[in-house]
Amino acid sequence: MGKVLMKGNEVLAEAAVHADCRYYFGYPITPQSELVAYMARRLPEVGGLFLQAESEIAAINMVYGAASTGVRVMTSSSSPGFSLKQEGISYLVGSELPAVIVNIVRGGPGLGNIQPAQSDYFQVTKGGGHGDYHIPVLAPSTLQEIVDLTMDAFDIADKYRSPVIIMGDGMLGQMMEPVEFKEKVESKQFDKSWATTGTRGDGGPKIITSLELDADSLEKRNTLLQKKFAEMKEQEVRYETYCTEDADYIIVAYGTVARIAMNAINKARETGLKIGLIRPISLWPFPEKPFEETRKRVKGYISVEMSAGQMIEDVRLAVNGHAPVDFYGRTGGVVPTQEEIYEKIITVAGGLKYEHENGI
Amino acid sequence: MENKKKISILTGHFGSGKTEIAINLALAERKKFDKVAINDLDVINPYFRTRDVVELFKQNDVELIAPKDRLASSDLPIVSGEIYRVLHDPGYRVIVDAGGDKDGAKALGQYYNEWEKFHPELLFVLNANRPYVSTIEGAAYTVKQIENASRLKVTGIINNANVGGMTTMEEIFKGLDLSLRLSEELNIPFLYSCISSQLKEDATEFMQNQKVVFIDRYMKVPWES
Repeated sequence: MGKVLMKGNEVLAEAAVHADCRYYFGYPITPQSELVAYMARRLPEVGGLFLQAESEIAAINMVYGAASTGVRVMTSSSSPGFSLKQEGISYLVGSELPAVIVNIVRGGPGLGNIQPAQSDYFQVTKGGGHGDYHIPVLAPSTLQEIVDLTMDAFDIADKYRSPVIIMGDGMLGQMMEPVEFKEKVESKQFDKSWATTGTRGDGGPKIITSLELDADSLEKRNTLLQKKFAEMKEQEVRYETYCTEDADYIIVAYGTVARIAMNAINKARETGLKIGLIRPISLWPFPEKPFEETRKRVKGYISVEMSAGQMIEDVRLAVNGHAPVDFYGRTGGVVPTQEEIYEKIITVAGGLKYEHENGI
Repeated sequence: MENKKKISILTGHFGSGKTEIAINLALAERKKFDKVAINDLDVINPYFRTRDVVELFKQNDVELIAPKDRLASSDLPIVSGEIYRVLHDPGYRVIVDAGGDKDGAKALGQYYNEWEKFHPELLFVLNANRPYVSTIEGAAYTVKQIENASRLKVTGIINNANVGGMTTMEEIFKGLDLSLRLSEELNIPFLYSCISSQLKEDATEFMQNQKVVFIDRYMKVPWES
């Protein structure tokens, strides 16, 4: 199969089909509705099932049902709809069920607007629902990367029996780029002996539940979950760096913002300023290593976000006081421009006095 | 002036490149006509719509008819009522940018009486590198669906084969082949190929036998300068 021109939302759906996802439950919301529409057409072609639920809450609970049988299942939404799914996501974690959930983020809070944003960072990385939990979050920055990360997302979900979130801003969902779906490699095999597919007199009953009435038992379950999160932190960190080796200042940006920042970095380098980029691909677990490697020698970091300063908290934790951490962000669906980021670099790295501590 | 010259409707499958072609056509037609209006009837896409380049139209004195102000950035299925004004004014050269697929074409159906009167050309834009229209069956099915929803017949096919910035002449030749076969299958005239002006040099050989319209891209992402 050669290169095809696709929308980000379509790529998410097609990549899921390539990853053997055969079940999708969702409810349309701008700017991710193309994913729903694509699945409605595509899944019946491969013998799968598409169902438009009556609400996001219904959809995530259908995902719970399907995941309990061990199949690969996906749902998707955008910010307000993603908020509605939080209870169900917490149940998926509590019941240790694998599923992939896509959030194509739009401007908030509340109904907000339909423009691109990254303001759901806290929600996806710090546990958006109740209880002590974390979920792996992958943040692609190109449509080709969506292909790879969607495949990875399903594997991570099955490996750890955990939901996995793919987060992109509205632009990533709406923009078009050429993508290639490479020849399919054999899917990895995962243990699904826990799946509730009916007993045939071949063992005891299998129960999928997040209910644990006894306090000691629930604590034990939490301990197991924490062990799992620790393993994910060990195994599932993904990031990319650009020109960090000699950098005096490092920009930290993810998703499409990293692509905008890249141009600003190149422009700054032309003027002799040594600027680099750390692009977290897994937002949780947050990549600490590239900061540990650079924090003692760089003069500072700049977190650039389409939010009012959310990832900056993880950046500060990773930098751990070794260097100053600055910020530039736009909110409400406004996308930062190359020029604005470049100006921020000049202000911070070029020694100019800057007016606001926090860019916005 | 012939009626059919007056109104051109750009239609096609979802993501075919109608909007870019509509913008280019409007700018080109402004050089021939004093009054050119471009109508954004896209009720499908939330971003990357004709209305997003409002400044470009202002600079080039092309009238943009689209939902205005805060409604412009909504995802409501609304169109501007002003389209009637330019449709009925004989002084206007009118370009209509409809949304993709049958769902986008549905917005055209309500102007049935105007179409009866003015006989617009309905152009089907085909990018053979998009899912579901890379085969003759898929493309023909999309044409039929658009015709049913719009209550119009497609009068011409445009080859707009591309994979964005990575397009080579190979894609354009392949797209031409599919467009010509579609033209034969449905007995609809093939009109021309749209090629990015960045490929002007590579297209020299292609142009010897083929009608080509070079187009510039206006729907850009923030990291494209």
